Amino acid sequence: MSGRSSGSVDKKIDYQQALRDVARSMVRLRKPDRLLKLIARFIDRQFGLRHTALLVHESSKQRYVFVDSKGTGRVPVGLIKFDADHPLIQWFSVSREKTPFHQDYLLLADIRKNLNKAHFRLAIRSRSDDLVKVQRTMGMLKVDLVIPGYFKNDLVGILMLGSKLSGKPFTMQEIFFFQTLAHDCSMAIKTSEYNQSLIEKNRELERRLTEIEKLRYKEQQTYYEIIRSLAEEVEAKEPSVYGHVSEVEKLGMMTARELGLDLAGRNKDILSAALLLHDVGKIGIPDNILTKPGHLTPEEWAVMKTHVEKGAKILEPLSDFKKVREIILSHHERFDGTGYPRRLKGEAIPIEARIVCVVDSFHAIVSNRCYREGRSIETAFLELESCAGTQFDPVVVDAFIRVLKKEMAEGNVTASSLQH
Amino acid sequence: MKKKLLLVDDEVEICEFLRSFFEDRDYNVATAHSGVQALDQVEKFGPNVVLLDIQMPEMDGLTALRKIKEKYPKTKVIMVTAVETQDRIEDAMRAGADNYITKPLSLEYLEKDVQEKIESLAGA
Repeated sequence: MSGRSSGSVDKKIDYQQALRDVARSMVRLRKPDRLLKLIARFIDRQFGLRHTALLVHESSKQRYVFVDSKGTGRVPVGLIKFDADHPLIQWFSVSREKTPFHQDYLLLADIRKNLNKAHFRLAIRSRSDDLVKVQRTMGMLKVDLVIPGYFKNDLVGILMLGSKLSGKPFTMQEIFFFQTLAHDCSMAIKTSEYNQSLIEKNRELERRLTEIEKLRYKEQQTYYEIIRSLAEEVEAKEPSVYGHVSEVEKLGMMTARELGLDLAGRNKDILSAALLLHDVGKIGIPDNILTKPGHLTPEEWAVMKTHVEKGAKILEPLSDFKKVREIILSHHERFDGTGYPRRLKGEAIPIEARIVCVVDSFHAIVSNRCYREGRSIETAFLELESCAGTQFDPVVVDAFIRVLKKEMAEGNVTASSLQH
Repeated sequence: MKKKLLLVDDEVEICEFLRSFFEDRDYNVATAHSGVQALDQVEKFGPNVVLLDIQMPEMDGLTALRKIKEKYPKTKVIMVTAVETQDRIEDAMRAGADNYITKPLSLEYLEKDVQEKIESLAGA
């Protein structure tokens, strides 16, 4: 066969070095099968053997199977297995001290020689029976040299080599080289097994995290639903404003879209929740103040104003609603910095809060209240415009009026639905 | 008693490996690579034991098994296959298989089982 080495010793050592380098660099491969096959092919070509085979431990099934087998004496891959209690596996799994075979290889020639010595058979008695079985197995597989590969104390696999086509015996240098290979292969296999188990563990962790995330989300949703129903309670306390929040929500979303706000994913939910819940804090305002017809006294106003903080407080357990809380807390801030509770100014007020402020005010102007009739949409527009720059963000007022006019022209919103 | 063994597998390499293994153990071995060939060889060669693969072209192993058992009920048939489902095993046993061995197999076990089948024939 061409390509079989018959060249100088120097050339062979170069090859060996190259292969060792390759093996080491491939130790990190996720699936070591390719590396193992490459090594089998290299040995087969480089040394010209009757048989080159790699037996590897399948940890999930407690057995050893062939990954590759080459040469005239090859074994069909997938046909045979060796269970962990097979004499060959046992031979390399239990201590070989006090036998002449304590080194990490086994030559058929050495076995024959030693089994013929009566004193040896006597000395290792029970193990000599095992050795006879090992010898038989090696004969059956047409291999002359077997080299175990270990990782820590585990037998990861066995490199099995048939006799040379040239008929020459293996040299110690060659045996040492095969041992290096067996060691490298074992490292590659164990590393990949370890990586694989890490990957699996990671997947499992990710799966659990998703599960927890889902549960948490569900819990938050439930809490949100409760708050929503609370907000409806608030409305129920003021029968005249019934339907206010859902109108505010509709108008607010419309305005946000007109302003080109990013409403992807959670952003949309956040704004929607803020619009629906902006007055949820009114739950904590006494009925006599909340539903008082006519003007409030300065003391009553002070109590009324606390509804923004109360609203934010109610939402505290909702970690996902941090942003919603911030919006609710800021929806009575004024663009010129004279609002409450923190006297935020201009851009310091979240854009969502500036939207809530405009649409909430608008809706309050146009809808019927217990103490007065709702005013016309045109009047409301004029009032918004007159307060643009002081109470309201002029950009938001602009966008709001523009989009509402457009929606009304298209018939999506009617004056009566706004004023009911 | 003559030890006559028929190996049936569509993979020639498997047949040849097992042929060499059993010939080394003084068996008289014949091979076949399909169900049809298997029936033909059972007729001509008259094996004591047949090692029969299940998945094969022309005629699958289960069909071959039924036909062999119908005509030569004394011939021992051991199913050797990579397919291991409870249904398949039950099908094979119902069709008269004398054992069911899955690949990868232990050669020691295979040898012991074939030996036992031969001995049971000799004793009968």
